[in-house]
Amino acid sequence: MRPELLEYNLDWLFAATFNIAKKTENATEKELARLLQFAPYDSGLLTPLLGLGKPAITFIDLFGEYYSNIVNAKRDGKKVVMTTFCFDPSIFYAVNNLVPVTLEIGTALTSMLWKRGSYDFMDFCTEVGFSETGCSSQRGAMGAYLAGAGAKIDLVALNMGGVCDTNANAYSFAAQYLNVPYYGLDYPSQLTTEEVRRYHYKDYRELIQFIETHTGCKFDIDRLRELLEEKKIQDALLDEIEEMQRLVPNPVPGLYHILIYASRYIYSGRKKYTKMLREMVEIIRKNAAEGRSGLNSGVEKCRAFLIYIDNYSLNVGMWDWFDQNGIAHMGNILSRTFSEKAPYTTGIPGTTYEINTRDFESMIDSLADINARMPMTRTIRGPYDAPNMWLEDTLSLAGIYNADCCIYNGTPGCRNTWSNVKLITRDLEKYGYPTHLVYADSFDGRVESWDTTVMRLDEFFRIRGLL
Amino acid sequence: MKTAFYDAATNIDLDSVRAWKEKGGKVVGYTCSFLPTEVFYAADILPIRLRGVGADSMEIGDAYYGPFACTFPKAVLQLAGSEKYRFLDGVVISNGCDSMRRLDECWRKMSEDISDTLPSFFHYFDVPHKPEGYAVIWYMDQVKKLMDSVEKHFGRSISDENLKTAIRKQNQVRKSLWELERLRAFDPAKISGTEAFASIVASTVMPRDTYAELLLQCIDTVNQKKDNPLGGRKRIFLGGSVCDAVELVALIEKAGAVVVGENVCFGPRNENDLVDEDANPIEALTRTYLSGSACPRMFGWYKARLHTITERIKALKVDGVILQNIRFCDMHGTENGLLERDLEKIGIPSIRIEREYGPLTETGRLKMRVNAFVEQLESKSNHHEAMP
Repeated sequence: MRPELLEYNLDWLFAATFNIAKKTENATEKELARLLQFAPYDSGLLTPLLGLGKPAITFIDLFGEYYSNIVNAKRDGKKVVMTTFCFDPSIFYAVNNLVPVTLEIGTALTSMLWKRGSYDFMDFCTEVGFSETGCSSQRGAMGAYLAGAGAKIDLVALNMGGVCDTNANAYSFAAQYLNVPYYGLDYPSQLTTEEVRRYHYKDYRELIQFIETHTGCKFDIDRLRELLEEKKIQDALLDEIEEMQRLVPNPVPGLYHILIYASRYIYSGRKKYTKMLREMVEIIRKNAAEGRSGLNSGVEKCRAFLIYIDNYSLNVGMWDWFDQNGIAHMGNILSRTFSEKAPYTTGIPGTTYEINTRDFESMIDSLADINARMPMTRTIRGPYDAPNMWLEDTLSLAGIYNADCCIYNGTPGCRNTWSNVKLITRDLEKYGYPTHLVYADSFDGRVESWDTTVMRLDEFFRIRGLL
Repeated sequence: MKTAFYDAATNIDLDSVRAWKEKGGKVVGYTCSFLPTEVFYAADILPIRLRGVGADSMEIGDAYYGPFACTFPKAVLQLAGSEKYRFLDGVVISNGCDSMRRLDECWRKMSEDISDTLPSFFHYFDVPHKPEGYAVIWYMDQVKKLMDSVEKHFGRSISDENLKTAIRKQNQVRKSLWELERLRAFDPAKISGTEAFASIVASTVMPRDTYAELLLQCIDTVNQKKDNPLGGRKRIFLGGSVCDAVELVALIEKAGAVVVGENVCFGPRNENDLVDEDANPIEALTRTYLSGSACPRMFGWYKARLHTITERIKALKVDGVILQNIRFCDMHGTENGLLERDLEKIGIPSIRIEREYGPLTETGRLKMRVNAFVEQLESKSNHHEAMP
């Protein structure tokens, strides 16, 4: 690893970037351009972000606060828990001395903000024994924490065992390397049976014990209720956004998706997240009322549904390219919640979660249900062609959003999807959706440069007559 | 004996399995060592471990799996698609890892393109990623479901008595395999790693009673051997991801070493691997198969695995450890990194090797690395001997 990287704390760098960016809220264009001269690589993310207006400022504020909390955790007498993206973090905010740090968010940010992404951190992981074929989404930021260039981690808790073994394996490695306690929720391959639900409930209660043991704190029931009540509001707002996305043209700006899921993974249940969603809904409603597309050009030529994740390997290049070509981004596997009232899930028994805040036990059950129905823990846990799994989800979502095509974009480290993506691609084609398989790494531009990915996307859209 | 075991370890089409079929016996393939094979013996069905040995290309495996997946399940699929597993009456897929559990879909989808490649019994056995608490109950339920499914499909009844008999007989095999381990613990080892490992792999594919008899004969023969050509060789322990490559063990031994033990998803892991013969059979099977956190798929149990491996390494008087993994096996690839670090810390030289499953296509590279490692071990001991 380049030694200078150890001179700066990763969390501090993020906190500083977002806290400074927040101050540009009232900056003139000229002032902003002058500022970005001093941070040329940041502009690839910040310029398009700031163009989104109010929700983006809240997003920046939220991220600044999130990373400042991590930076100040020890000063504030708090412990830092390393966790994963598909884990609802509201449980961590229900004790008063815990701050979560989500690896995948950090990795995506370095890819989007830095010229060299998190390559050095990824390579550091390999140097200390982590498999080089392991998923890059963890490997990036994880390297910083293993190398001591980030917050000191006190415990590791996550939920991907049985759904994404590569993910659980990365966190297990980190816990071992850092010699800190580890807890992982485990998921059977089925989702909807009562015995699975009971398993989830027992497993989640073990997690509660684990957190209490290692933080020395009891859960604050009132605080937990407040978080979950807030989450209900957030889910309702997300449902409205999803509903409006069905309109043609789609009034939702494509970049909103990354704001939605990135913030949910770190600030679920927190009021700032609700504020951002409210601001988004306001703009989307206005776009919808005016029959305006969320694309900058205002002209929607095609609607693309991302069946897995987005590409973060070079700034927000994927959204820019979509925008320039009139392609509406219809969200991806990460954008969705599976709350009982989500437009695409209503009526399908056992696949959704309901938030019940009656008492502590109900809240814990609700959280267990939520965690078992996060985008990946729900959709890619069982056989891809089983009821309510990847294929059915994709078909129903692509259907209700009037998608013209589907795109798979992921990481070569994803053993789970790369073991059946050819099958789902073939099926989607049979169902009439032109489907493109991207061989790049969403977090690591060394695997395939963004320019190459664009060349192939361009070829796909033109040859299939989509543009 | 050596030929019978070696033949079983390196081939799919076995005389003993053919004889079983000719007598009207049923055969079921399975993918993971977490499956309690006793269930099948109790139903008078021959369970055989699915492997990809003999796959000479990957065009079928690659047609269904993506490029970033382990070559082990791909090779199994290749054989299934090439009709090499046509003799199977059933298959049980387990969630050993992400790639392995996706063999379920890949096989089913392949069978839509290549007819008659999907056995009529096709079962998914869902193993929890935790070895204790409510996971034990989950596993017991899975065993019961498997039994129900076998009974219904094959029209067999699996009584407690049958299960207990199967447990008792399988325990005999385990004891014999552990006896084999003891022979390897002698210095010099009484049996070569190539012979011993072939015997171990054979235990997963040959009819149990035939195998048990041959194994006892093998142990007897080894015990009676007077001369021992294995003296003075560096003693190697082979660890890591699933490995049935007898030729890899042979390659290590050709470098002048002797392989005295393995921890590669085949064979016993410790002396206590026995199933309780007096307890409720399902509970007893669960306790043995699920406990021990034998595989890195049991996340968060690294220290327990390190302890088990270290104890074996000490008992086997190992000079060096070779940790191999098939490319894209992230779990073992990563755990090998931790093991290398921790074994080196306690003075046990270790090396990590990444390879592809199947014929040793990278023989030259592997040979060079193994030779260098063994030379290093030799020069280390020469250096110590030369020191005043």
